[in-house]
Order: sequence, then structure tokens, then C-alpha cells
Amino acid sequence: MENIYLPDPMEVLQVTQETGDVKRVRIRFRDPEKAANFHFNIGQFGIYSVFGVGESVFNICCSNSHQHEYIEFCFRKVGRLTERMWDVEPGDTIGFRGPFGNSYPMQDWEGKDIVFIAGGIAMPPIRCAIQYCLENREKYGKISIVYGARTVGDLVCRNELDEWAKYPDVDVLKTVDVAPTDGVAWDGRVDFVPTVLKDSKVSGDNAIALVVGPPIMIKLSLPILAENGIKDENIFTSLENRMKCGLGKCGRCNCGSVYVCKEGPVFTQADLKKMPDDF
Amino acid sequence: MSQIITLEQLKQTLKEKLASGARVVAPVLDGDMATFKPITNVEKASFEPRACVQNSIKEFFFPKHETLFSFVRQGNDVVLTDAADFDVEQIVVGARPCDAAALPILDPLFAWDYQDRFYQERRAKTTVVTFACTKSDAHCFCSAVGGAPDNTSGADAILFDLGDGSFEVRAVTEKGTALFAGKTSESDKTGAACEPPKADFDVNSIAAWIRENYSSPLWEKVSLRCVGCGACAFVCPTCHCFDMVDEGSYNKGKRVRNWDSCQEAMFTLHASGHNPRGTQGKRQRQRLAHKFVIYPDKFKSFLCTGCGSCSRSCGQMFGVRPCLEALDKQGVKAQQ
Repeated sequence: MENIYLPDPMEVLQVTQETGDVKRVRIRFRDPEKAANFHFNIGQFGIYSVFGVGESVFNICCSNSHQHEYIEFCFRKVGRLTERMWDVEPGDTIGFRGPFGNSYPMQDWEGKDIVFIAGGIAMPPIRCAIQYCLENREKYGKISIVYGARTVGDLVCRNELDEWAKYPDVDVLKTVDVAPTDGVAWDGRVDFVPTVLKDSKVSGDNAIALVVGPPIMIKLSLPILAENGIKDENIFTSLENRMKCGLGKCGRCNCGSVYVCKEGPVFTQADLKKMPDDF
Repeated sequence: MSQIITLEQLKQTLKEKLASGARVVAPVLDGDMATFKPITNVEKASFEPRACVQNSIKEFFFPKHETLFSFVRQGNDVVLTDAADFDVEQIVVGARPCDAAALPILDPLFAWDYQDRFYQERRAKTTVVTFACTKSDAHCFCSAVGGAPDNTSGADAILFDLGDGSFEVRAVTEKGTALFAGKTSESDKTGAACEPPKADFDVNSIAAWIRENYSSPLWEKVSLRCVGCGACAFVCPTCHCFDMVDEGSYNKGKRVRNWDSCQEAMFTLHASGHNPRGTQGKRQRQRLAHKFVIYPDKFKSFLCTGCGSCSRSCGQMFGVRPCLEALDKQGVKAQQ
């Protein structure tokens, strides 16, 4: 019988330093057969090993258009595993298990206007959906991207924001909490995400919102989305709870009877209202 | 007519199994308490009537500590070696009915979409022989959660102590029938278990209360006693939460799975410092809700067999039964 806890060895192809403490890593299966058969849906996550240190959970942060060649994930250097992950270089091997969990309903969103709202390190779980929408630009309506971080130096995928803004009918609203004082050029806003969100042109019954970020940002963004007429069942988020197995067995990621690893990480605001406050 | 086996014949049966290479697990006296251990000498096994054994037979299906795979770094690559299959026959004898009853409860969890090979291999290779209870104590409450002193759930055969150095054998499954084939003799004696333990609370009403009172201040109040040591989870036949960690060095080592407990503060602690269950009340709520609401929602049975091991082991005189009683008195009945 297959060992569900056995990761696949992945070759590190590319490491990009996004901020002072965030890196983006591109990896591919060392086994070409696995690479050829691999498929994931937008919004799913993986569990990544630094052998000898352990495993950590990160969203797959790229679109699945190159899924047989590579996948990407981002991490912030914040604990024991990510300290060690910081040192990986192209050619090194890390482990991967996945893909796990549910995904964003990209097909259901076709033909609709979408507002993407992210704060800080929460850009990666949204980036995969933005990339997918832009690769399939004709399938989606108006797109608004609202992204904020504490400072300019904390913006993940900062260069991509400008690339995304070049697509037709894509509106990128970038903001920082604190204006740069050290001469760093900044052509975005200085405000909190929920305030900037008021200027998004995506609204109405048929609009979709995908919001991921710190709880306070989400909390203050929800009333604005409501004012803009976006319904609870059209407001999506991706939860992160501490996980070990990713397989619905180890018993720590649940919110009441909902196992985030298997039934999430993607939930609508309507789903969350039915769940106990355990996240 | 019933089938009976003498203690000597039972030991002989186990001796033959040992000789055939099987692993035999039985209660072994350890001071004045018995502990389930693998034995090599059947004379070490202690089949005296008792209400409890220190540990659960769970660890012979889901060990405290087990290797999932090993790894070695070779240049830039890492070579992984899968853990060996569990391919010995295993006989667990002397389990209490409430301990064995945990196995069919855990089966669907370890098969929930992803098949846990480690549990399932042991389960398939193991024959479980229970002893019907001859005594209960103040911690027992199997009858409150659908069990009984002669419950056969999870058992391949159940033995009833006849008090004269022999046991009535009732085979439950084909594995149980095979184990005792040709070892028993016919008799007109039949055994009986002790009276079911008493519990004056209704678990379904408490479960309904838990569902509706997720944010009740009662959770913090009843949990003041708990020090979060996790002993309750380690003796529990149904608790199955685990941790996965690496042992060894960056160059060579293994990934292991260890038992974990939702009562420990770091269980759900995020790397960011955020903890969804930052207080003992929230952690106790998770434990009780998991057993009486979440698990029934997912797998249609309580994650509790009423064995009482948690409260027997608790240094604070807490555990599932005392917690259910507190919720019943201060929650369910206070509302009526």
C-alpha cells in the first residue's frame, strides 16, 4: 500500500527574494513521470519538507499552466523550518506532498468581475488566481487588485503588480501603511487596504471578491464589500490553520466539524458565518 | 452448548502462536498495575480480573512513535526509503471491551479518502481477544456511550471468566474462530459480564449543548483544573491526534510520527504567534467537541468508549466523565 506521508523529492529551480524576509521558490519533481502526471487546481496547497528539519504548509502560488514543468511557493522566514529553507539554492532538493484541499472555483467565476484583496504575505495565495485570470483574460470581466503591506519593502511580487496593471481592464490599487521616508520611490497610495478598497470599481450582485490577509484587514474589508453589493457567497478567502498531515487525520486544523486541510482552505464568507470561531 | 478453554489451554494457544513467529501482546504485571506489552514468555501474561490496564491496546495499531520513512542526502539529491511493511501476525489478548471498541471507531478516520497504511496493515494482521468485564469502577461509563461490559465491537473473540480457571469463548469474527479452532471443549457452563456501570447523564443532551454553546464561559470554568499535560490523550483508546517531526541531522535521518494532544498549548500555535485555541478552555472544548460532536458529524460515532482511562490517569481528577458531569450539571440541567 502507498505511504501517504512519503514526500516527493523536488529539485529547486529558482529562488527569488521578494522582501527582506520572504522568498519565492520554484521547484519541479525529480521524477519525470511524476512531473508529467502532476495536476493541481488553483488555490490548493502543498506541504514542503526540508529534510532533517520537518514540514511546512504553503499555498501553491502560481497558476497551473506550467504544472508539469514547475510549481512555486512563497514563505516568510519566521520559524525553525523557514530559517533553514532560506538557505536553499537552485539544484538543492526539498520534499513535496500534495496538492491538498479544495480550490477556487475558477470556472464558476468566468464572465464575472473580480476584486482581489491581499495584505502582506497573503499575496501568494491570491497570486495563483490572478495569474490564472490573466492567462485566460477573455474569460473574466473587470479585474481589480487591491494589495497593501506595511511598507514598500514588505510588498511581495512588487514588480509583478506593474506587469498586471498593463493588462486590459485590470486595475491595480497598491498601498502601504507607512510612507517611505528613506528616498524609496513609491507611486502607490499610503493608506490601509479597506480604505483603498472603496475605490475598487468591482461591485454588484454578480461580482466576486477574493480576500486574504490579516484578520483585521479582512474584518474591515467585509463591510466595504457589502456596501459594494458583493454577496457573502461570492466573497472567498483562504484559511490557514496549523497542519501536520494535510490528510484529515492528525486532528489540529479543524474549525468545529470542518477540517481546513480537506474541506478548505477555500471558504466563502457565507461558509465562515456557519463555522464556530476556531481560527 | 458453549465452548470453553482453560487458562492452561489459552496459554498453550499463545505459546504456539509465539512459536509460529507471531507477536503476542498481553497484560503484564508492572508493580500492582498491568500494562499491555509484547511478551515472549506466556507465563508473564496476567489474566486476573481487573477493571483497568494502564495503557490502551491502541499503541499496537498506532504506535506512540513510528518511523514513516528515512532519508539520506547524496550530493544535491535526497534519497528516501519507505518504512518497512508490518508483516507479522499479531495477537492482542486480554483487552477490555471498551478498549477494543475503539478500533471500529478509528477505522474510518484512517481510511478517510487517504489510506493510512501503517494503521491498516496492523489492523489487518491483528486478532483481538477481549475479556468481558468482571468489575467496573467509578470512572467507567461505557453504558452511557453505547457500550457494555460484554460488548463485542472490535473484538475477534470475547472470553468470559468462569471463575474456575477456565473461560467461555465466544468467537465474533473468522479471525477469532480460527484462533480458537480445536482449542476449546464443549460445556454447558456460560459466562456473564458484570453489571453495566452507572452514569446519570445523557451524552446526547450534552452533545446538543456543546453544539449550541461553543462560546459558553463554562468551558473556561470547567477547565481551570486542567494543566494541559495530555495524559488523558495518551491513555485514551480513541485519541489519535499526531505530530510529524524529523529526527537525525540535515544529511541523514528519518521522519517519525508521535502521539500528540489537543490539550497542549502549542498544538495549534501558528508560526506567526497566533493561536486559535490559546486557552485551556478552548482546548478542552476541542477535546469534548471532537469526541461528541465533530467525530459523530464526520464518522457517525462518538470518539469515546467510556473506558474512563482519562480520569483514572488524570493528576487533577479531571477527564471526560468529570467534564461531561460538569457540563451536564452546570450547562444542560442549568438551562432546564
